[in-house]
Amino acid sequence: MDEYTDVNWNWDFYKELVEDIEENKNIVQCISCGKCVGDCPASKISKFNIRKIIQKVLRGDKSVLKDSDIWYCFLCERCKRICPRDNINIPLLIINLRNESFKKGYGPRYNDLRKYVEMSERFLTSGVVVEEPLGGKLPEERVKELDLICNFARIKYVFKASKKNKKNKNKKK
Amino acid sequence: MEFNELALDLDKIEKDYPEDPLGFFRNKKLCVFKACLEKYFPGVRYGIIDLLNELGLEVDSCVNQSCCSGTFFQRNLITRAQFAAINERNLNELNHQADIVLVSCNGCYNSLLRGRYFLKNPDVRRKTEEILNQIKKEIGNENYPGKYDILENPSVKIVHDLDFIYLIRNQITDVLKYDLKGLKVASHYGCHYLNQSRDKKDPESYLKDKTKLEDLIQLFGGIPVDYQERESCCGWGASQLVIHPKEALKITYRKLKSAEKNDADFLLMPCPTCLYTLSKPEYRQKIDEWYGEKLEIPTIHINELIAILLGCEQERCITLRRTTPRLQEIFQIITQE
Repeated sequence: MDEYTDVNWNWDFYKELVEDIEENKNIVQCISCGKCVGDCPASKISKFNIRKIIQKVLRGDKSVLKDSDIWYCFLCERCKRICPRDNINIPLLIINLRNESFKKGYGPRYNDLRKYVEMSERFLTSGVVVEEPLGGKLPEERVKELDLICNFARIKYVFKASKKNKKNKNKKK
Repeated sequence: MEFNELALDLDKIEKDYPEDPLGFFRNKKLCVFKACLEKYFPGVRYGIIDLLNELGLEVDSCVNQSCCSGTFFQRNLITRAQFAAINERNLNELNHQADIVLVSCNGCYNSLLRGRYFLKNPDVRRKTEEILNQIKKEIGNENYPGKYDILENPSVKIVHDLDFIYLIRNQITDVLKYDLKGLKVASHYGCHYLNQSRDKKDPESYLKDKTKLEDLIQLFGGIPVDYQERESCCGWGASQLVIHPKEALKITYRKLKSAEKNDADFLLMPCPTCLYTLSKPEYRQKIDEWYGEKLEIPTIHINELIAILLGCEQERCITLRRTTPRLQEIFQIITQE
């Protein structure tokens, strides 16, 4: 990656992200020391490099939303633990970036989240993510509360995808 | 630091009950948080329940508790406010029923603390309130006051099973039937235990080395094994194993190999999600297929180990349906008279 100069400085992207998750305003404190990268499991297996991602964000480079890198983060919070600055919450920044990526249509398609299709269906119909959980499902009359809480959430679209898949399967039969 | 009023203050109990930390829990209503993945490892739940009963304490579970929903939040399928509302709904139910909630899963423990932490943001709090008000409006039939409100000062406290077991460790040894017979044990803590800050009061306690599992191994008559990948992730990585299996499984492979190379007889951990990742036969097969190595190190949750040491029946503590390699061998070594 080419290093940036001050000429490239642009706050628009940063402001957009902070508007969604205010706590991420603290990323301006990043000193680019790279401790987070050295200790990151995702960096060991992919091109995920949080130091570079923060640099890009602070310079208004929205290409991070299109790159697949942000989808490799393990959300393990190790970077948060070892970051020498106070209150930089990198996992929350990743959630923030993934949100923006989804909004702009770059994120994974719902049907690609295969495993989540089943899990979303179970959660919204039984309150748990596994079949026949130990100790039973959430009582039927309480499941509606979860459905209400999740109104307009992406989990609902994933759930709809599960219904659509079933319908298509039945048609094929 | 972000000390969360929901986390049980372990330092205070140690200070107030130096000889009898278990005394703090007597006459308190205890409840276990139901982790979804305990379905595959029932011994994780039965282990802590059996221990409490053995120590003369009653424990319950909460019928109206749902999944913690951490997995959906971490995949951006629900918002922070929705995640906080699901969490608050669970906490209300738990607060109504119990004084102390014991949590066996790093993920659930993290979710409970994180949901409360998000409420510190006024915007998230307002949105969460709106969501809960909507439930009130649509469902309405409250069977106890404040059921759909944000808890201002929850009296309920949560504690991670590993922290609880460690706190009462010297009282546990009185009821154990077996010891570890000098077995060599490697510890895996899991990211959301090792990197957890929301239950810490100061940077010192946040940064200090975590050695609770090693201390317990020694106390129970085993030999702790140090290994290169001790602090690394299990590979699950907020579903990375599902989304990018080939890459994420490298992390699992390195961890298991590192423990096995250092002659550990088994790998001990405090989280059923890590246990699922590190023990699933399908993943072990793929490791063999992709990286050309057959790894056979057994994996055990701390609650399951307690159950074995208590003399619990094998089917109850490490269910025979589990096909983890060499697990039966470890069970037989520990339980031989």
